[in-house]
Amino acid sequence: MSVPISQMWTVSTYVLKKRLAGNRRYPLVLMLEPLFRCNLACAGCGKVQYPPHILKKQLTPEECFAAVDECGAPMVSIPGGEPLLHPQIVEIVEGLIARKKYIYLCTNALELKRRLPEFTPSKYLTFSVHLDGQREHHDFSVCREGGYDIAIEGIKEAVKRGFRVTTNATFFDGTDPNSVRAFFDEVMAMGVEGIVLSPGYSYDKAPDQNRFLGRARVRRLFRAILSNRKKTWKFNMSPLFLEFLMGDRRYDCIPWGMPAYNIFGWQRPCYLLQEGYAESFKELLETTKWEDYGVPSGNPKCANCMVSCGYEAPAVIDGFGSLKGFLAMVRGTFSLYKDEHALKLLNEPAPHGPATLVKIESPAHELEETRA
Amino acid sequence: MTAEVLKYTLEQVEALELAPGAEHENLEGWVPALATDEDLRQALDKALDYRGDVTLTLKNGERIEAYIFNCQSGPTLDESFVQYFTPNSAEKRKVHYADIARVEFTGKDRAAGKHWEDWVKKYNEKKAAGEKNIALVPEALE
Repeated sequence: MSVPISQMWTVSTYVLKKRLAGNRRYPLVLMLEPLFRCNLACAGCGKVQYPPHILKKQLTPEECFAAVDECGAPMVSIPGGEPLLHPQIVEIVEGLIARKKYIYLCTNALELKRRLPEFTPSKYLTFSVHLDGQREHHDFSVCREGGYDIAIEGIKEAVKRGFRVTTNATFFDGTDPNSVRAFFDEVMAMGVEGIVLSPGYSYDKAPDQNRFLGRARVRRLFRAILSNRKKTWKFNMSPLFLEFLMGDRRYDCIPWGMPAYNIFGWQRPCYLLQEGYAESFKELLETTKWEDYGVPSGNPKCANCMVSCGYEAPAVIDGFGSLKGFLAMVRGTFSLYKDEHALKLLNEPAPHGPATLVKIESPAHELEETRA
Repeated sequence: MTAEVLKYTLEQVEALELAPGAEHENLEGWVPALATDEDLRQALDKALDYRGDVTLTLKNGERIEAYIFNCQSGPTLDESFVQYFTPNSAEKRKVHYADIARVEFTGKDRAAGKHWEDWVKKYNEKKAAGEKNIALVPEALE
């Protein structure tokens, strides 16, 4: 795990304090969406399909700070939309740094290089750059040729200027695990702090409705990707969440662990589903019918979801909430997850389907290299 | 979630290979008949899910073009309300179900008509024509 000690300390003491106080429901990461406007039109995204007058709206810095203060989560993720299109994003980030919040500013990096001089490097600020895989995969995924190269330019410039940088990838059906592993090599070589990854959520508003992974296929894909790791790969995620994706752990979704706030208010019940809004975080916690969500509820909208915004919080709480969990987390941080079966999965033919319309060249190195 | 929604068993969930995508409901232009309270509730539920503006006609005759983002459904229409933005106001607004006489899905459905297959077709055509920097671009905001 590539998360700095100071951040781990902040999160672990936060979790312990909440547990000691007997809090059952508390947030770990606030998903703060300051706007829905975006400069991409990705096929897998269901976040940006709104009338122009909604896309023109944005949260003010004061609204952002009020939400952060009320929520109290130690980490703030700023997705969107594209946050770098917000004219006051620097003021928002600076206000959150002043509050000692660990910020993940999620960007497609089309504007990153241009806007970097406006930001100051800080241990509290990470640029989390959306990259869905190697060049052709990413460009096809975000429906823009050349998007990968622009993002890479931004990443390299940010690393050069001393910023914390991670990449974040979303995977759909048809993903070639060998290509993903080669992609990990590429991004780590650029000097990023770590990689963030997640299976895609089946947004009912997304243009592509045919490539959402079911849970069985998620586990097989992530077992192939994440077993037999290289020592050079670092993940900016809980090792226990990665084990969950690989099928080694079971967690129940805790949607309040990563609540979402945007121009409409506090989103019910989570960042992904949109079943109304609450005026305050307190109202969200107290009036949402949480029993209607998550796999045990049988809700079909939750059936295939293994996304980090529902399942990373329980993994983090598990890791910092008990000695057993902590030891598992330490073990997971240093394990290479040797797995012969997973190696065989890598040698299976590349998946065929809508996602493989763009031919990706096979990585040049041998699979045996992953055993090093 | 409504009670009549078909639920998955745990075994079905864990065995899912591909998650079924959603069928897009074509609501643009729809004017639901509101004969009963239940008709109104259902129409407003659909309006909440709709990614376009609707026009609400109130019982006092006022017409409001609105993007509905929240429905709070209570035991009676007087205790239920929708929240919305209008194109020309920065403020959130609220109207009770009991005050609504008519709902029209007048705005363009921003989630309709964009399919992965269309992107693939367009990409392949442009690629074959030798074009560079092929991309889908977000719709203009004007």
